[in-house]
Amino acid sequence: MRKYWQIFKISFQEEFAYRLNFILWRVRNVFQILLTFFLWSTVFVNPNTVIFGYDRAKILSYVFGVMIVRALVFSSRAVDVSTDIAQGDLSNYLLKPVSYFKYWWTRDVSSKALNLVFAAVEFMVLYFILKPPFFFQKDIYMLITFLLSVIIAMFLYFFILFVVSAVPFWAPELGWGSQFLMLIVVVEGLSGSLFPTNVLPTNLQSLVLATPFPYLVYFPVQVYLGNVTGLDLVKGIFIGIFWTFALMFFMNWIWQKGLKVYESIGR
Amino acid sequence: MDRAIIVDHLVKNFEVTEKEPGITGALKSLFSPKTKQVHAIRGISFAIQPGELVGFIGPNGAGKTTTLKTLSGLLYPTSGFVEVLEYDPWDRRPEYLKQIALVMGQKNQLWWDLPAIETFELNRAIYEIPRRVYEENLKELTELVEVEKLVNTPVRKLSLGQRMRMELVAALLHKPKILFLDEPTIGLDLVAQQKMRDFIYEYNKKYNATIILTSHNMDDLIDLARRVIVIDEGRLLFDGALEELVGRFAKEKIIKATLGSEDNIKEIEKIGKIKKISFPEVTLSVPRSTTAVAAAELLQNFPVEDLTIEEVPIEDIIRKVFKGELKQ
Amino acid sequence: MKKYFKIWWMMSRNSFSMVLTQKFTLSIFLVGKILRFLFFFGFLYFLLLGTKNLAGYNSTQAIFFFLTFNVVDVISQFLFREVYRFRPMIVNGDFDFVLVKPMSALFRVLMGGADVIDFLTIPPLVIVTIYISTLMNPTFQNTIYYILLILNGLIIATAFHIIILSFAIITTEIDHSVMIYRDLTSLGRLPVDIYKQPLQGFLTYFIPVGIMMTLPVRAIIGLATPSGIFLAFVVGAVAIFISLRFWKFALRKYSSASS
Repeated sequence: MRKYWQIFKISFQEEFAYRLNFILWRVRNVFQILLTFFLWSTVFVNPNTVIFGYDRAKILSYVFGVMIVRALVFSSRAVDVSTDIAQGDLSNYLLKPVSYFKYWWTRDVSSKALNLVFAAVEFMVLYFILKPPFFFQKDIYMLITFLLSVIIAMFLYFFILFVVSAVPFWAPELGWGSQFLMLIVVVEGLSGSLFPTNVLPTNLQSLVLATPFPYLVYFPVQVYLGNVTGLDLVKGIFIGIFWTFALMFFMNWIWQKGLKVYESIGR
Repeated sequence: MDRAIIVDHLVKNFEVTEKEPGITGALKSLFSPKTKQVHAIRGISFAIQPGELVGFIGPNGAGKTTTLKTLSGLLYPTSGFVEVLEYDPWDRRPEYLKQIALVMGQKNQLWWDLPAIETFELNRAIYEIPRRVYEENLKELTELVEVEKLVNTPVRKLSLGQRMRMELVAALLHKPKILFLDEPTIGLDLVAQQKMRDFIYEYNKKYNATIILTSHNMDDLIDLARRVIVIDEGRLLFDGALEELVGRFAKEKIIKATLGSEDNIKEIEKIGKIKKISFPEVTLSVPRSTTAVAAAELLQNFPVEDLTIEEVPIEDIIRKVFKGELKQ
Repeated sequence: MKKYFKIWWMMSRNSFSMVLTQKFTLSIFLVGKILRFLFFFGFLYFLLLGTKNLAGYNSTQAIFFFLTFNVVDVISQFLFREVYRFRPMIVNGDFDFVLVKPMSALFRVLMGGADVIDFLTIPPLVIVTIYISTLMNPTFQNTIYYILLILNGLIIATAFHIIILSFAIITTEIDHSVMIYRDLTSLGRLPVDIYKQPLQGFLTYFIPVGIMMTLPVRAIIGLATPSGIFLAFVVGAVAIFISLRFWKFALRKYSSASS
């Protein structure tokens, strides 16, 4: 346990070492929030507008909720794993007495902790500048469920990331390409960061809700806002858990295969 | 034009950011980054004539590469005067750049995934070399470095030695009058090193090209450089013929004696530092100023059959240069 | 000029032939880019089904804003892809080789690696954009304004890429500044009218996303004033002037890798 605490500390410091990278990454997050925030404020410029079951207060709360959930779920150091494999640096870890997955999970958690602090500050600053109507959840039961859904989302993202990162075992040159396709395009597009999944037509919506992606951002935010309750809530949690385990088993399976290939090539 | 290169009181400083250890240090550098001045070159002056082949030596971080890069117009001098072929390198005028080349060992300008010929063709367009001249130069150079059969092989499939020679071809297609070579033999095997040296020698002879060469390879310097410039910590320590380096920096001379018998042989260490004894040969190192006295004493007190006085080998001096052990 | 066009052609051919040998990578990126386009397009489409208009623009116009953004964005990415590869060049010192060549170093690092993937997406994008534009029945004069303002937008984009490269020389940092630029310009996917002050002013004058992407569409609709159009060209000229000065300044600060 102590060694993971060390990893946590070192990882935390490393983020500061590349301070410019870190600051700019936070700035980027703010821009994305601004785009969606102003888009929705324009759409709901008339306070009585109701579209897709959202009114102005609800949708802007959604945007601000996305900001916090994104910082928790999407900030991650394990994006470097793919490069590690492609360049053969993975060997350095295989020789050490640490679990590779736990190692990266620790680094991810440290990254999430740091990003959460900054996201909270940004949240406050933007909240005072933009003065959005934000819904503060007071129901402790809902808050606990929200926390649970965020934890599911974090694991879900971790496993998706590791499955995608396994591509270079077979094709080292596809590392960045597969990350681009899955993490930047598909995850960003379907997770609910850009728009809440339920603005889609019903049949498309149920299709997307069957994939793991909405459980990264859309679902946790909806839980926080109290928009999913009762049976839908239980169903959502279960689908999230189902995907988490499914992806975990898939990840283990594909990594075992991949490591065999990796060792036989002797990179 | 009697001077190809003139450098006068050249100074180059860099600014680097410093980081303190630990989380608090990281936090501090986040908000108020500390910078430090690095004095890479602290005022050096020299002049080089057309057709000279000059070795530039010194320990790591002495400022050799920085000087070469300033001469080729990559770095903007902090102060001082630099002129190459009557141009200010920093202006990087096309007319100037068409007359020089910079070759750095283990770095490459070749397009990695494509055959070298593609880079050559691109350079032809960039340097505006007429087709006929280009064909001639290409043939001549590839034959000289023996890579004419490899020009259509993707660069990544070449060995390091082959690649370095391709780099040379790419750098020399425009027949530069001035060549800056930074560690041209680094990482090459012995055969490839020799080929590279032969080529540099030939090129210098054939085109009367001015060449400045930095190297940590003893053979490069002894085979090629008639003149050497020694710099350390950004200052010029020596500028002159390679042979004079010994006279200038060797504080000792070497006395080799052949003895008739082993009598008193232990006493011999009173005369000078013993470098080697394998009877009947004895090798001593003695201070320069007292060489004559030491030789006389040796002849007087020991059964000497033969005696020679020699300079310290040049390799020893150069080795000291590399270690930064020479001081003014 | 002729020399540079020839060199550009040769470098683009080289970088095309390198990418084309990796068909799988090529198709992944192509699929990714198309999907990203479709996700936002789909979202906008469904949104407009619900709202019928956006900040006073009708659905066709709103979609045309998004298409115009893509035209400027994709063309500048196609031309300036090499900017994304500048960091390794600075870090391992290959930039030295660029500098010692008798050719504009800026030209080489800005346009030395045209992107075949973006190139493939340009024709369909342009066709769709032209099709949507005919639905709006623009006048001939407004169409000319539109085209000129798009070119002006590309000039401003060039200026930004030059500034990004200059920053990279000074700080050896590029990935994030490129991304910030892209995030900021991506605010132009929708007309800048939707943003509140001071952000709107910021996007009009400081990072002139409005001039790059919104103004051309306003011109084709007939909403732009002659003085506004004139001002746009002034901004373009000033931007390129400042960026070139900054590039010169950065080169002086350049400290080559191994030193």
